[in-house]
Amino acid sequence: MNLKMAWRNVWRNKTRSLIIMISVAIGLFAGLFVLGLYEGMMSERVRTVIDTEVAHLQVHHPEFKKDYDPKFTIDENLLENELKKIPEIKAFSNRVLAQGMLATTTGTSGVQIIGIDLEDEKEVSRVDLKVKEGELLDPGKKNGILISKKLAGKMKLKVGSKLVLTFTDIENTVTSGAFRVTGIYQTINTPLDERIVYVNRATLMDDLGLRESSHEIAVILNKDEDLDLVKNGVQAQFPQYSVLTWKENSPETELLVGTINQYSSIIIGIIMIALAFGIINTMLMSVIERTREIGMLTALGMNRKKIFLLILTETLILTLVGVPIGFICSWFSILYFSKTGIDISSFSEEAMSSFGFGSMIYPEFPFATMDSVLLIVFITALISALFPSWKAIKLQPADALRQ
Amino acid sequence: MKTVIDAHNVSKTFNPDTIPILAVNNVHLHLERGEFTALVGPSGSGKTTLLNLLGGLDKPDKGSILINGKDITQLSPNALIDFRLHHIGFVFQSFNLIPVLTARENVELIMQLQHKKKEEIDERVLNLFREIGMEDKMDTRPAQLSGGQQQRVAVARALASKPQFVLADEPTANLDSKSATNLLDIMAKLNQEENITFIFSTHDARVIERARRVITLVDGQIHSDTARVPTDLPHEGEKPRN
Repeated sequence: MNLKMAWRNVWRNKTRSLIIMISVAIGLFAGLFVLGLYEGMMSERVRTVIDTEVAHLQVHHPEFKKDYDPKFTIDENLLENELKKIPEIKAFSNRVLAQGMLATTTGTSGVQIIGIDLEDEKEVSRVDLKVKEGELLDPGKKNGILISKKLAGKMKLKVGSKLVLTFTDIENTVTSGAFRVTGIYQTINTPLDERIVYVNRATLMDDLGLRESSHEIAVILNKDEDLDLVKNGVQAQFPQYSVLTWKENSPETELLVGTINQYSSIIIGIIMIALAFGIINTMLMSVIERTREIGMLTALGMNRKKIFLLILTETLILTLVGVPIGFICSWFSILYFSKTGIDISSFSEEAMSSFGFGSMIYPEFPFATMDSVLLIVFITALISALFPSWKAIKLQPADALRQ
Repeated sequence: MKTVIDAHNVSKTFNPDTIPILAVNNVHLHLERGEFTALVGPSGSGKTTLLNLLGGLDKPDKGSILINGKDITQLSPNALIDFRLHHIGFVFQSFNLIPVLTARENVELIMQLQHKKKEEIDERVLNLFREIGMEDKMDTRPAQLSGGQQQRVAVARALASKPQFVLADEPTANLDSKSATNLLDIMAKLNQEENITFIFSTHDARVIERARRVITLVDGQIHSDTARVPTDLPHEGEKPRN
């Protein structure tokens, strides 16, 4: 009877109840959509980090990353043979790295020079897709270099321009090489773009004085979930080397994901607080309007627990009817925008790019946080019900009946 | 005769800290099973307050109220609610049916609160609606019923819990003459046939005429307490009780 009475009480004032139900639906929709946006942004960022920046795993000499001394190399032949046997690995690429100075007639800029094997690198960092002007590196042309659009703009370089790279070799001797820009690339991570240039691996090895060794092997897996399994396997096989995951190589991304999750929680919290006040207001009005009726129920013998449960049930109905509506709306809108994307380039392309995000956002339904959101909505409803329910049970029957 | 209500030295003051109003002043009252009593007096004489005190809806500042020998002034609020549910029936001036429940559900609610079995509830509810002559209106919402019909349902609801007595606060005040007579007939019949105790607060001469005992309150005190023969029975005159 309590449930039946609660359900009918909710519909006594249809307009008021519908407004609060729609508010709940809109609140949930807004919350889920914002979470979906963040989820999509984070997912894309992580994808970019893995697929175009640091790969799933990187293998280095344990001393190399401390100050990028080129003498700390790894035995690429030994590693290649073993990595090929691991079925979870999709592709890998040997890289030679040097920290150096890029100089032109207009100025200088500190860069990280990455020597790559073009065909291997296409599989690992999709370097071919990044080139926007000019051509990819030609293994036959030793002095070719790929620079980013950002760096080209800063150093006033274009395809065909000449530049000089200066760095130290394995003997700690400063050495220089002249290069000609063959292509200009662009990714969504402009701060990283500004620091990275690509040259042929063979050229950089010669300049550094290296033979059949490299500084880094970047590994791409078939599935993200195999990350720890493969890392632990390779690390166990090569204890003399350092095997790091993308989370370790790009801690800022991991930090960003955590920060965004916190922002999401704050946004959900704000939405729920607004909702709670709406619900409390509605239920208080409902209780005040029914003071006499509630007093009469107490007079007839309905105990305080049942009165409390009645108001609580009404609040839960009011809240939970809006939940499926909000859920369905957010589901369909996220599904739609996950295909078409949301283009925010007109007002924040540069800002997004400076944080390594693209200007097209493809939201993803936040399945992982769905349980938490529903739990928060439920708790919000419960908390919102407490004050009106308390007001209801505090009514003295004689006083209530006099009103 | 079995004593149902025994009130001693009962007083109730409203606004004791500001402008005190002594609504009930040192009232002694003794009611026995099967009485059909009218509580009369001018507005502000304390009729409703006394009914509220007797029904456990309010607590007296002073005195004791024994219902079937149990002092309800000593009960905790929760125990008092439970006591009302099982021992006292209420009929209010403005009907006070739950508007979202049908007539049947309004009556069933009390028995459900008492955790009665469904079969027992169904049987009792049907009998009560027969008594009030509204079997055909059981599934109608209060808004679709006339004032007289709503008050008859309220009587059925008051009797659903098989109470020791029924307190009725101005039950005919909002009814037309025909509905009032009809309601009084029903209550008189229940009183005579089932020996149910009724206590009314009223201004209504029709109610007073049907009562077998009339207690007059003035300024919160019992001014007179008269036993009488109702006008629908052979008139044997009136005699004072105290």
